[in-house]
Amino acid sequence: MLGDMEKRTRWLILIYQLPREPSRHRVAVWRKLRDLGALYLQDGVTALPEDAVTREQLEWLQLRVREAGGEATLWEAKPGTVAEEAELVEAFRSSREKTYRDIIARAERLRRKAQMGGGALSERLGKLEREFRAERRRDYFRSPLRLEAAGALKAAREAVRDREGSARVLGTEGKV
Amino acid sequence: MLWATRRGCHVDRTACIWLIRRFLDPQATFAFFGDPAEAPEGAELFDVVGARLSHRGEDCSFETFLKEYDLDDPVLREIAEIVHDADLMDEKYGRPESEGLDAIVRGMQLELPDDQALTSHTDVLYDGLYAYLSREVL
Repeated sequence: MLGDMEKRTRWLILIYQLPREPSRHRVAVWRKLRDLGALYLQDGVTALPEDAVTREQLEWLQLRVREAGGEATLWEAKPGTVAEEAELVEAFRSSREKTYRDIIARAERLRRKAQMGGGALSERLGKLEREFRAERRRDYFRSPLRLEAAGALKAAREAVRDREGSARVLGTEGKV
Repeated sequence: MLWATRRGCHVDRTACIWLIRRFLDPQATFAFFGDPAEAPEGAELFDVVGARLSHRGEDCSFETFLKEYDLDDPVLREIAEIVHDADLMDEKYGRPESEGLDAIVRGMQLELPDDQALTSHTDVLYDGLYAYLSREVL
């Protein structure tokens, strides 16, 4: 393992511009970037930490922008200073807060509902778990809220299991 | 035979390369290109837009390989599910192994940016997965 300078993250920057109309291309590209967890540095300039997956996705987006009549260039970049990079990483972390808070709030509601004996619990739990996994994948720098969300989800999972365990004979569900 | 794909392999391409070496063409050689225009003449392209051996419908390239070459090994079918989930992240098969595989191969690629070196290591990874699943499935 090498020192700090050699091991610094490499970044990918996608710079793009799309015609104003039809707006569906702009929306589709924006959605895809949002799902990837990309950070807008300014209008039409987005960053992601580089790996094989983010690169492939951004190359694909670049193609898509061009096909829609826009312009897109993909750059490899390193912020000039360690401090700038730390700021960027911090901006990535904060960008995940809103969704984690939403997951936490919903997990807590689900836990309370399970404790009060509500229904349709597993479906809601399954949906939350999937959302959490998707969020974790685009949380490139481990937002401090990840742990809290994992904890809230665990409590909800346990409450749902307790509830379903008391409602049904154990051992009759689950995949073999 | 010469096979070619894009540079910077992740799960789908590393798994296809393993499949080719172990099940289709033990003497296979591989070329990795940045731009499809750089692909060597006469090479069989895979996981490249428009190629015969690429994503098709909902399938990732590994799944297309199994169909194109009529490989009906149940263990390969399971590996295809894991590769699919790791590559497309749509949780189609709900395979928990896919998350670990995604993390490991992403990390290996950062450490081994040379695809020849990377795939010599990922081959061992898929051998292990195959051996593990064989015990469960057969």
